[in-house]
Amino acid sequence: MNIRLRGVIIAVPSVAVAALWLGATPALSQAPSAGLFPSYAAPRTADGKPNLNGIWQALTTANWDIQAHGAQPGPHPELMGAWGAGPGGQSIVEGGEIPYRPEALAKKKQNLETRMAVKVTNDPHRYDSGEPELQCYRPGVPRANYMPFPFQIFQTPAEILIVYEYKGASRTIYMDPHREPPTDSWMGWSNGHWEGDTLVVDVTEFNDHTWFDRAGNFHSDALHVVERYTPISPYHIKYEATIEDPNVFTRPWKITFPLYRRVEENVQLVEFNCVPFVEELMYDPVGLYKPPSR
Amino acid sequence: MRKRILAALGAVTLVMVVESWAPVLVAAQAPSGTATFKATAIDTEAAIKAAADAAKAAAATVNWAPPRTAWGDPDLQGYYLSLSYTPLERPVELAGKPFYTEEEAVAAFRKAVEADAEVDPRTVHYDWKEYGMDAWQSPVRPNLRTALIVDPPDGRIPAMTPEAQKRQAAARARNPQVSVQTLGNLYTRCITGNQGPPRLPFNHDSESQILQTPGYVVMLMQSNNDVRIIPLDGRPHLPQNVGQWLGDARGHWEGNTLVVETTNFHQQRNWRGSADGLKLVERFTPVDPKTIRYEFTVDDPTTWVRPWSVESPLPRIEPPIYEWACHEQNYGLMNVVKGAQAREAEAKR
Repeated sequence: MNIRLRGVIIAVPSVAVAALWLGATPALSQAPSAGLFPSYAAPRTADGKPNLNGIWQALTTANWDIQAHGAQPGPHPELMGAWGAGPGGQSIVEGGEIPYRPEALAKKKQNLETRMAVKVTNDPHRYDSGEPELQCYRPGVPRANYMPFPFQIFQTPAEILIVYEYKGASRTIYMDPHREPPTDSWMGWSNGHWEGDTLVVDVTEFNDHTWFDRAGNFHSDALHVVERYTPISPYHIKYEATIEDPNVFTRPWKITFPLYRRVEENVQLVEFNCVPFVEELMYDPVGLYKPPSR
Repeated sequence: MRKRILAALGAVTLVMVVESWAPVLVAAQAPSGTATFKATAIDTEAAIKAAADAAKAAAATVNWAPPRTAWGDPDLQGYYLSLSYTPLERPVELAGKPFYTEEEAVAAFRKAVEADAEVDPRTVHYDWKEYGMDAWQSPVRPNLRTALIVDPPDGRIPAMTPEAQKRQAAARARNPQVSVQTLGNLYTRCITGNQGPPRLPFNHDSESQILQTPGYVVMLMQSNNDVRIIPLDGRPHLPQNVGQWLGDARGHWEGNTLVVETTNFHQQRNWRGSADGLKLVERFTPVDPKTIRYEFTVDDPTTWVRPWSVESPLPRIEPPIYEWACHEQNYGLMNVVKGAQAREAEAKR
């Protein structure tokens, strides 16, 4: 890029200019917030808490596979070509490994092999196989936060509501008072509190029907997730989630990635209601789908 | 208004919504078989009296100003129910009578409550009443209006245009086979819930929540967990070619009233026969600490010969709203369609 200095144009490499903008010292020194930005204090809401209101989106490819993965052809490449192919991407799992118990690792591999299975039954066996996103089921937590769709945070002192563009799925984080979950659910039950500038959310009472990604990574209904949302710049939240499930994993493990603020003028969530898109997939094999004639 | 759960389509895990406007229990967490219940939940006389008293108190509240949010907007936040015994259209025998006297309103309410609470065990497997979800077990009150439609003045839905009638006939002709698409509707297919928009108070699971942040009002429905995000900053609607099942809402304040204008309805939505050009204007006015007055006007010249308007109160209820994972376990739709196909096959034999 060029800088105009007293009428003289000087060509300056962009990186060096960015470093000048960020502050006197280059942003290479260790900062508590992701090591990328100088330490940051977010503007406050009326009740004095960091203001997380807004529309946010992850830019990882974790929805395809939360571990590092190469690009790959999708289902029916003879029909879908490049549209259906999966992007490559880096791991959001800290350390790269998911500490599966040996029998659970075998189940993960089986999940991957049968992920395109759609077997709609009148009983809980309908969840035995098949990737839940394929059938437009709720993504659960933390997957909802790294779906390739934006979501909007609505922050009040008593509750924080997160609305996901994917399926219009939502979750309420009870801040004050905390509430007890009455039963299990797809998105779990969330109680939250602040630790300094970090929103800490404790999520429990999941059912066992959601997956962490399309690659077969799964959990049981003993899943316990602790999320941390830390604003690190006006446009970034550092998101971390610790995942614990003694039925499936030998120890807790952690994912982390940035959330980016959507800054377009008049940006809004645009409905993605995928139920109509999966009716043929789900109901035609059992003879219940008859589309209207033209 | 007898409800038959067997006939209700769409699988809903009722357990999750049992206490949605509770507590009907007086004591918390009593051991099984020893719980005590509020009189208004189990005794229709107590419920009718309480509702009539509440209606009197509400009528005595005039010019009530709601509290304000920290940034100065009227504060409508909380949980509300949309349920009523008042019919949408004025009954023919009440033509020319838009309002009851107080006594008549309570009598009409009593009649509806008693019919609702009556259960014939020969025909009903189980009833909403057992879950504390009949309207009389909630904060629903007698209504001085004889119909919810306030315009046109005769309290009846305006006539459908010839264009709309042709449209409906053509749609029926295109779907001759028993299937998810013909037996199902948006609600039983779990595409949308039963809260519109607009909201008509004739369905259970009509709990909702209003949340406010600077520049936004959000409305979360219990039914299908439909969410409406309403920006207040005057931004334009989405372009006309973008249709959404819940429409695209824009809000602004007129005094203490939240006015919401919704357009951009999905082509296949077909709310009461309407087309995607439907324009909806809703007004939410807090009139006392326990009530929002809800009004709406629908306008679609391709469907009705004139716009029509409804008024129906939204009483406050207890939190919270629960997850409604409808599509994830829609056994009901499958079972009903399979059953209908089986009956059709039998009839052919």
